[in-house]
Amino acid sequence: MNLQNVLSEDLCCVLKEDLKNEALFIMLQMISNKLSLPKDVADQMTRNIFYREQLMSTGIGLGIAIPHIRFEGVSEPIVAVGINEEGIPDYISIDDDVIQIVAMIIVGKDQHKEHIRLLSQVVSLLKQKEIKEKLLFAKDPHEIYTIMTGK
Amino acid sequence: MEHIINEVFEKISVMDFNILLFFGIILFLGSMGGRLFQKIRFPQVVGYLAIGIIIGQTGFHFITKELINTLHPVSNFALGIIGFMIGSELKIDVIKKYGKQFSTILLFESLTTFVFVTLLVFGVGFFLFKDVPTALSIALILGSISSATAPAATTDVLWENKTRGPLTTMVFGLVAMDDGVALLLFAITSSIASALLGLGASNPAASIVMLVYEIGGALLVGSITGFLLSRIIKSFLDEDRILVFSLSSLLLVIGLAQILQLNMILAAMSMGFFISNFAPRKSKETFQMIQKFSPPIYILFFVLVGAELNVANLSVLVIILAALYLVGRVAGKFLGAYLGARLSNASPRVKKYLGMCLMSQAGVAIGLAILAEKNFSGSIGDIIVIVLTATTFVVQLFGPPLVKLAAKKSGEVGLNKTEDDLLKTSVAKDLAYAGKASVLVNTKIKDLMKLFSENGINHYAVLDKEKKLQGIITLENLKTLIMTQSLNEFLVAHDIMEPVIRTCEMDTPAVIVREEMKKYKLPCLPVLDKDKAFVSLIEDNSIDKYISHQIWQLNKTIEALG
Repeated sequence: MNLQNVLSEDLCCVLKEDLKNEALFIMLQMISNKLSLPKDVADQMTRNIFYREQLMSTGIGLGIAIPHIRFEGVSEPIVAVGINEEGIPDYISIDDDVIQIVAMIIVGKDQHKEHIRLLSQVVSLLKQKEIKEKLLFAKDPHEIYTIMTGK
Repeated sequence: MEHIINEVFEKISVMDFNILLFFGIILFLGSMGGRLFQKIRFPQVVGYLAIGIIIGQTGFHFITKELINTLHPVSNFALGIIGFMIGSELKIDVIKKYGKQFSTILLFESLTTFVFVTLLVFGVGFFLFKDVPTALSIALILGSISSATAPAATTDVLWENKTRGPLTTMVFGLVAMDDGVALLLFAITSSIASALLGLGASNPAASIVMLVYEIGGALLVGSITGFLLSRIIKSFLDEDRILVFSLSSLLLVIGLAQILQLNMILAAMSMGFFISNFAPRKSKETFQMIQKFSPPIYILFFVLVGAELNVANLSVLVIILAALYLVGRVAGKFLGAYLGARLSNASPRVKKYLGMCLMSQAGVAIGLAILAEKNFSGSIGDIIVIVLTATTFVVQLFGPPLVKLAAKKSGEVGLNKTEDDLLKTSVAKDLAYAGKASVLVNTKIKDLMKLFSENGINHYAVLDKEKKLQGIITLENLKTLIMTQSLNEFLVAHDIMEPVIRTCEMDTPAVIVREEMKKYKLPCLPVLDKDKAFVSLIEDNSIDKYISHQIWQLNKTIEALG
């Protein structure tokens, strides 16, 4: 799956928030704005994301977090990316590194394969050292989008 | 209006009833009788016969002699089906295994009975008739007829109780074959009797030739038809068509046997034997369908047998002869079966209970008696028919219950279960996986992989902290993660589980479980308790596994019987 199809500039942002919940809220907001989700659907999506975080924090190490769910409120996969160079200290991660990059992935309820492919694609992209460093220096959504999609 | 109705009703009498109406009434009353007797733990056959006796020649004469004659083809059809089903129970490998045992017991149980009845009837008859030829003729003919055992009533009880094992096998074989012995004995004794009574020169050699023709021809016709049928149905998948072709071949064989004056039961039997041994896979369906089709025909048959009996007017002479016949026959069958079983080293249960299964007498015995009446017109013929009628009546009252008792004591009841029977008596609880079949929502994928590789199941239920069912993880889900090992560290069961489409409860019948899984194409079905808490899983192969395990156990039990 091409990241260009699921990511856009208005789904990228430089985060000022340094609390996990706030950062997640901002990114959920971007997605529901982008998809013009009705309020009840957006609320459900928020609940689902937080429920998933309760099960196990999605900090996967190397300063990267990938909150992700399968959700009946969307029909196609969508990705949002948020960067905080200072880090989000309360975002628990496997290796205890501070989270600086958050990539939120939401796919349709039945999109099990797309879910796995997208996760693996995003993880392998963000684990590349140069990409990660470039992202941390990005100043605006346009730059983030360009680095992520290689355009 | 009233006028018309009155006129119509005044005109209707039993004489106006048509065949279909009689069919309906006989079937209805017969099945009610069967049900009633089943409730008081008697074989249903006794109920059918009782109804026949009540509405037939002994009781209300609702079924007249003419009607019995008109319905004769139905009785032949029933005997054909019975022969066919018995043939299907005789497997070549079983005959090889029990062959020697079988022939020894057959000879002993039939000949001992013949000798006992003949001696008893002759011994006492000599004083009653004061004439050796008369007494000896009656004794010999009654003796030969007494060796026959009714396959219908006996096998019906065994089928009703789903028996299987050495005793059942032995009984199936014996009841089919001792009619052959009875026919042979009858042919010989009636020639002797004819000679004794000076009734024309009935040539014994000619009788034997006739008998060989009757039996040999029957086997030939049955085998050829069986061969053709097994060829024809081989390519059929459609159940209806298999049923029609099987029934038509059966009718052909029965009809042909009648025209050619062959032994009908043996012809049908050899057809059944041929199909079940040479086209085993398709034949299973064929027999199951014929068996499903047969109950109404059986009921008609047994009610008619009961109706034919006339036990209302008995003379003292006949009562004495009947009592002697009964004593001789019971003693002969018991002792003969015991001796034969002992000499042939049959299993202890066969030795002990076989005699109890050989009491019934019906169709063949009455048929031979009627034949005797034709051959020996006058008092001798009449005496034979009445003795046979009276004793059949008595024997049919205690014969089938004795078969049931023997089957129960020998431990063979319920061992002949088909997959369908097993499924019908099972519930979800029986099918569910016995080990742990659930994981928590936050179980890591790498732990899941370990679980799947270590345990024998391909599905796990995913539960939340409150133990409520959230989803299902299948091996297929997990396979999609094989190429993406980097994700296994941080994905949890919740991320890859599939939604639950259907659930069932512990006591949901297995048949419904199977239907649901088929209908919704479910790889597995979670089982919940009354409070909707997860208990276990039924996997798509659980039903097959359970059934084959049960059948394996049944076979082990049967093997243990000897």
